[in-house]
Amino acid sequence: MDNLASLRFFLPESILTVAVLAMFVQDLLTRRSARRVVYLTAGALVWLAIVAFATLQMPAGTASLFGGLLQHDPLRMFFTWVFLGATLLTIVIAPNSGQISPNRLGEFFALLFALVLGMYLMASASDLLTIYLSIETVSLVSYVLTGFRRGDRKSNEAALKYVIYGGVASGVMLYGMSLLYGLFATTRILGEAGIAAQLSDVTSRIFLAHAFGGQPAAQLALIVAIVFVLAGVGYKIASVPFHMWCPDVYEGAPTPFTAFLSVGPKAAGFAVAIRFFFATFERQLPDGAFAQVGDVPWPAIIGIISAATMTLGNLTALVQTNLKRMLAYSSIAHAGYLLMGLAAASAAGVQSILVYLVIYLFMNVGAFLVVIAVANARGGEQISDFRGLSVAAPVTALTLAVFLFSLTGLPPLAGFTGKYLVFAALVQRGGFWNVILAVIGVLNSAISLFYYAKIIKAMYLDEPLDRTPMRVPRLYTGLLVALAVPLLVFGVYWGPLVRWASTAFGGPTPI
Amino acid sequence: MTESVFFWIFAVLTVLLAAQVVLRRNPVHAAVSLVGAFFFLSGIYLLLAAQLIAILQVMVYAGAVMVLFVFVIMLLNLKEEEMGHERLTAWKIIGGASIVVTTGLIAYLALGNAYPTGLLRDMARTQPGFGSVKGVGQALYIASVLPFEVTSLLLTIAVVGAVVVAKGKI
Repeated sequence: MDNLASLRFFLPESILTVAVLAMFVQDLLTRRSARRVVYLTAGALVWLAIVAFATLQMPAGTASLFGGLLQHDPLRMFFTWVFLGATLLTIVIAPNSGQISPNRLGEFFALLFALVLGMYLMASASDLLTIYLSIETVSLVSYVLTGFRRGDRKSNEAALKYVIYGGVASGVMLYGMSLLYGLFATTRILGEAGIAAQLSDVTSRIFLAHAFGGQPAAQLALIVAIVFVLAGVGYKIASVPFHMWCPDVYEGAPTPFTAFLSVGPKAAGFAVAIRFFFATFERQLPDGAFAQVGDVPWPAIIGIISAATMTLGNLTALVQTNLKRMLAYSSIAHAGYLLMGLAAASAAGVQSILVYLVIYLFMNVGAFLVVIAVANARGGEQISDFRGLSVAAPVTALTLAVFLFSLTGLPPLAGFTGKYLVFAALVQRGGFWNVILAVIGVLNSAISLFYYAKIIKAMYLDEPLDRTPMRVPRLYTGLLVALAVPLLVFGVYWGPLVRWASTAFGGPTPI
Repeated sequence: MTESVFFWIFAVLTVLLAAQVVLRRNPVHAAVSLVGAFFFLSGIYLLLAAQLIAILQVMVYAGAVMVLFVFVIMLLNLKEEEMGHERLTAWKIIGGASIVVTTGLIAYLALGNAYPTGLLRDMARTQPGFGSVKGVGQALYIASVLPFEVTSLLLTIAVVGAVVVAKGKI
């Protein structure tokens, strides 16, 4: 589709661009107003509603936009709703969090919209150039928002570390992409002369050169290129060995943004990974199953990274005393669980990732929201600050218990649904190593119970720090309940969620 | 033949100077090495028949951007003791060796055999107007107008971000 015709499918992104600039202007106009926080929040919510409406109006089906730079399909639409959900929660949480000064709220919202724009592009990018640019947009805004609390040393340190790790990761990814470009002489993934088409064409010139034992020499180059491209994606989803930024950034960034960072960019990273691997190295058969193209062992690479990621995340989380750091390691572990779904290399695997991400949005944002509430009331984010929370704030403590048990994956909470679908997809795919990976995943879930339970023990069994009722804003209490209830519902009734995921990524449903 | 001789000259010098950018302790030396790396990189662009990009590389990067870098370095005015000391630790040796071995292996094993040689240069020869102002303009504003616009938005955000991070009271 040519550039002008593509604009119809590009409406949400265009509106987001306007929203970024409009928020700056509104920030300027309401500078002297006493009610500027209200105006700015309302403005951001209105813009978000317009974007959501435009997203809702998008035509169904698939289309290749801007001559193959972007791909419009149900997968993209699914991810945009996850992004919109995370953004809505962040906009609602941010003004009351006490971590973002009212003077800078307008900039915060404007940069947040730019971040959403980057994630929208990540969800539809089908060209190496747009993949790189969208990841870079998301990264750049993330650096700024991480260092948003200027007076705070930790915030500054986190932002600097984030920039340095990010620079290395995107450098490595670009190197991988340059290898791909050298092999295929195109940056398009899909389309007639795209990488996918060239790979499935055995007479293409990259198969003509042979190296060891008659194997196409290009295969080794391809594997190297994939591993390098994975650096960029792995950095966004915080998987081993690109996870080092995660604890510092989560701890240093303003907590509302930490909550966003742990869900939004992670989902966007998975969108890129799913599209890149399935479009390039898999071909869908008429019965919905996927067959590999080009004999590239990408599921094995993902599987190894997945096992390492969840094991390292869980083992390191065990010894953390700061709740934000613990949640950071837990989010690394969850990246590992999600990668298991990718390693299954099947439609069921991808669907399980999609379901997991939606559930993860609820439980992780909820957990961070409690951290904000407790940090504001008690002035700390250590586990010791949560002692006796059940007495001081029963509803908050109860919802946090729901979020943590859900993160562990205990039935009948929604976290169990997500994990069950991921494990089921792996086992269904079969094969010795896939089952081993599923077993590693189950063992890791058991480990994770230790550190999540540590917080629950502090809240319910330890001697209370302070018996007087803790002040939690009514808005937060309402939000916490609103986030906890879906977890209870999806834990027993996950049909609609699974159906939605299966329309987003074609193939037989997992259950 | 002449082309590959020039290619090797440019390639080796680019990599050597780029390494100097990282290895030099004195930032001014690093900046000057970067000018050299940009310059020889533009030589490689010329070999790929991308004349306009080569000229822009010299004018914009080796010229304007570098002047800015040198200005910033001079404004910072680092003292000798602030530059830190050069220490050769075991980790640095291991890291350096592994980089050399990995890139060498990739180049030798994978790319040496796999690259369809001359593919990119073929493109230059078969497409009329490749590398000219018109060709680059059409590629930039028609085929790649979306990345172009996204980049411009990215730069806007970067400017705002720099102000947000650097300026105390706004």
